[in-house]
Amino acid sequence: MVKLVARPLDRKLLRDVWRMRIHAASVALVLGCGLSVFIMSVGMRASLEHTRADYYADYRMMHLAASLVRAPDRVAADLARIPDVAAIETRISGYALLDVPQIVEPASARLISLPLGGRPRINDLAMVRGRWPDPAKADEAIVSEAFATALDLRIGANLAATIHGRRHVLTIVGIANSPEFVFVSAPGELFPQPERFGVVWMGRTALARAFDMSGAFNDAIFRLSPGADDQRVRSAIDEVLRAFGSSGAYGRDRMMSDRFLSEEIKQLTTMAIFLPAFFLVIAAFLVNIALGRVIATERSNIGLLKAFGYSDLAVAWHYAKSALMFGLIGASLGSIAGVVLGRAIADIYRDYYHFPTLAFSAGLLTFAGAWAAAIVAVSIGAIFSVWRAVRLAPAEALAPPRPAVYSRSAGMLARFAARLDAKSRIILRRIQRFPRRAATTVIGIALAIALLVVASAFPAVMTQLLSVHFSVANRQDVTLSFVAPREIGVMHAVAHLPGVISAEPFRADDVVLRHGRLEVREAVLGLPFNARLSRLIGSDGQAMEPPVAGIALARALAAKLHAGPGDEIEIEQVSGRRVQARIRVSAIVDPMVGSSAYMNIEDLGRLFREPGRISGAHLSLDPARYAAFNAQLKETPALAGASFLRQAERSMRRAFDEGVGVMNYLYIAFAAVMAGGVAFSAARVTMAEQERDLATLRVLGFTRGEASYVLVGELFVLALLAIPLGCVLGTILGIWLMRLFQTDMYSFTFIFNPGGYAFAIAFTLACVASASFIVRLGIDRLDMVGVLKARD
Amino acid sequence: MTIAAETDPSPAFHTIRLSKVYGDGPTAVHALRDVDLDVAQGELIVLLGPSGSGKSTLLNILGGLDRASSGEVWFHQTALTAMRERALTDFRRRHIGFIFQFYNLIPSLTARENVDLVREIAEDPLSAKEALDLVGLAERMDHFPAQLSGGEQQRVAVARAIAKRPAVLLCDEPTGALDLKTGVRVLEALAEINKRYRSTTLIVTHNADVARLGERVIHFSDGRIRTIETNAVRAPPSELKW
Repeated sequence: MVKLVARPLDRKLLRDVWRMRIHAASVALVLGCGLSVFIMSVGMRASLEHTRADYYADYRMMHLAASLVRAPDRVAADLARIPDVAAIETRISGYALLDVPQIVEPASARLISLPLGGRPRINDLAMVRGRWPDPAKADEAIVSEAFATALDLRIGANLAATIHGRRHVLTIVGIANSPEFVFVSAPGELFPQPERFGVVWMGRTALARAFDMSGAFNDAIFRLSPGADDQRVRSAIDEVLRAFGSSGAYGRDRMMSDRFLSEEIKQLTTMAIFLPAFFLVIAAFLVNIALGRVIATERSNIGLLKAFGYSDLAVAWHYAKSALMFGLIGASLGSIAGVVLGRAIADIYRDYYHFPTLAFSAGLLTFAGAWAAAIVAVSIGAIFSVWRAVRLAPAEALAPPRPAVYSRSAGMLARFAARLDAKSRIILRRIQRFPRRAATTVIGIALAIALLVVASAFPAVMTQLLSVHFSVANRQDVTLSFVAPREIGVMHAVAHLPGVISAEPFRADDVVLRHGRLEVREAVLGLPFNARLSRLIGSDGQAMEPPVAGIALARALAAKLHAGPGDEIEIEQVSGRRVQARIRVSAIVDPMVGSSAYMNIEDLGRLFREPGRISGAHLSLDPARYAAFNAQLKETPALAGASFLRQAERSMRRAFDEGVGVMNYLYIAFAAVMAGGVAFSAARVTMAEQERDLATLRVLGFTRGEASYVLVGELFVLALLAIPLGCVLGTILGIWLMRLFQTDMYSFTFIFNPGGYAFAIAFTLACVASASFIVRLGIDRLDMVGVLKARD
Repeated sequence: MTIAAETDPSPAFHTIRLSKVYGDGPTAVHALRDVDLDVAQGELIVLLGPSGSGKSTLLNILGGLDRASSGEVWFHQTALTAMRERALTDFRRRHIGFIFQFYNLIPSLTARENVDLVREIAEDPLSAKEALDLVGLAERMDHFPAQLSGGEQQRVAVARAIAKRPAVLLCDEPTGALDLKTGVRVLEALAEINKRYRSTTLIVTHNADVARLGERVIHFSDGRIRTIETNAVRAPPSELKW
């Protein structure tokens, strides 16, 4: 049997680490926090990417799609002949108003035809329950899982739908998910409202009859050969479909569902870098503090080891190993926590995106990366202290240390010191004498404050975004969108719907905007002057009038086009008359949600040679007649959709709460670990170093409270110094992060939120106070005689 | 709490069967056993004995740094043994000046500031300059401990102890870390203060020659007082040797 005998030095190492267990725990916890986020984010990102790739591959997700007005079925053969088109499927697609008795407001659905021959060859469905519709039965349909779940629709249930002005009663025979609709939101809505919008798949014949599309299609989806030139295929498709009212073929980057997923993956990447980096820096600081102290107390042992003949390298390795042990404990903690966190997040993602499967798995490389990062961080933290041990000559190390040499401060500081009492002077001089250590503590606490500033900025920014979008910009109760543009005269009928207090028209066109060689497809919105319901938001966050002339661009859009006020850009309608024109940018606006372009409604109508035509209306309603209004709406076939602002706000708030809210608790917990860890380590070191001075004070007749003042005072002075630094750092980080998290859908701007700063400061000070309080208890246990009789 | 001290004719300290045991069971160490002692106000006593004989333990209990396991300690009319922690702190603050072997100055404060530290909590202290003058260090009062020699540091410790005009000076091996010349200067300062302010002074030492300085010499061994000698003629510090 092999008996493992630990070398005496290794036994010493284990005992040293045990003696430093508080420091070790601080380092391990801080590392654990950072690495758990790293493993969770990197693992989750990879899991999401794999799941998406597998889902897309297994269910043959389309590469390109094109919507058009109407094309005869024979055109499909022309499309199939385009080089690099591996598969094509034509569909009939449209919208239906649904009459769902469970909810007051009208619901709507995206209708998509299933191929005649059976299952789709592109965008296949993942059947959750039930079966495929019988082609012979026109009323059979499959509904999306989120919609079915939200409304508790079972197999065999009926669904009343108004399709193309005619009422149909559908029977649900299947419940399914589709790679095309991982993320489902109604047109014009940013976030899912699963009880109000779903996807319904029906037989091709039934849908063709309902939309008068027999022998024709209005939607084509494509899969391309590997290595295909996407741009070239798109041009070829456009060539074929231009005559049939196509608004242009587009790739996955313009499909709402895929775009959302991509944004999510991007944000996970940001998170994988930002938070862990923060924590690794702090862990390095903590190792520096802890090991610095150990080497100082181990002076004579270092001398002894060297006197016995241990080489400098052996001594360095001995002390470096304790830091590495801290790192390894932290990396183990982080790995376990990362997997636990990852699994929890994977459950949330699976439910939210309705993936058939989504298992969290972090690869070996991810763990290896985390462990390597931990080792690098603790090594950097250890290097200065270990170097000190290496440099110590044995004779010098064995002699008692010289007392710390202090000197008088000069100038302002001296005058300030002279006015202080002796205890405060002790605090000031220690900070002056050990500036690097003081700086370490200040930076550590400042980083905790910064993290909290950032964490509390997120909800504030969300609140601001919601309040600007739903209280300043959009004050309507409901927005109606017409199936096709209508004459302005329709406003008269709209105004007479039950309960309508006021109504404002708007016009929306899908356009391509070009500036130089840059090109962006976006919507341009036409708004009336003196609007009271839906308004434009200027860069000052206040409502403003639409431009008198020219076009206003959302900041994100202007950035993509590299266009500013005064620049002339090209605008082209993607459907209808396909009017092309040049127009001057008159202003940059900050809508916070969306990144559209804006014009006044009359100019926009004239530009596209359809003066007086509108796309929909914003309405304010009398709450007392809400039900009557909705009942009437359910009977109105000419509507493509109705967006209810309060519901949109709720769904947006819910999405933020689920995402930002959960992350925020995590941030706050991590910041507490960070602030507590730094304060605790600093307090322990100060206590150890000042034991003798504190005992002296106690012997001289100073009370525990008075002696504590010296210990706690130093930490608090450092914490106070950390406050401005932390606030500035937090602001810079906040601004940077808001930019990173910015998407086409929202523009976050960092807002100065005094409450958030106050919380960050108060919370950190409370952590510092708790840590000092715990360490302060040591003063009560101080063995005055023992300490004072011992040689320094 | 006020404690009558200087004007009180009663003994400064009076101990009855004072014992101190560290630990319990078979590993218990009896540091003091049934010590009965009276110390008069203004007396200078030298406590002599080998290491572990109990002299420092007695000093610490008299100074309120440690508690007796049994027996009583009275400071004039006040029983120290009945005092709680806070009262003991107050007792040290008002009446006791401590001097240790290893000086225990605050390294971040100058000589003057170390003295000022005590003046901040004393009722009618000497000025820092007066206190440092008494130990012959007024010239170097703006130096930090690291800039002073061991003897000078110990004299600053003496100045710090006397600055509050304490009724009692308790000195634990005050010359233990010093050579003869500097040790003598420290003892001279202590003797001078005892004479000038009538501070009851107890000096713990294992140096037999220092005993000639005291009015009485108490010999300790094994936690007990073995003998108490009275010096008919006290030697001035300058005549001491070690």
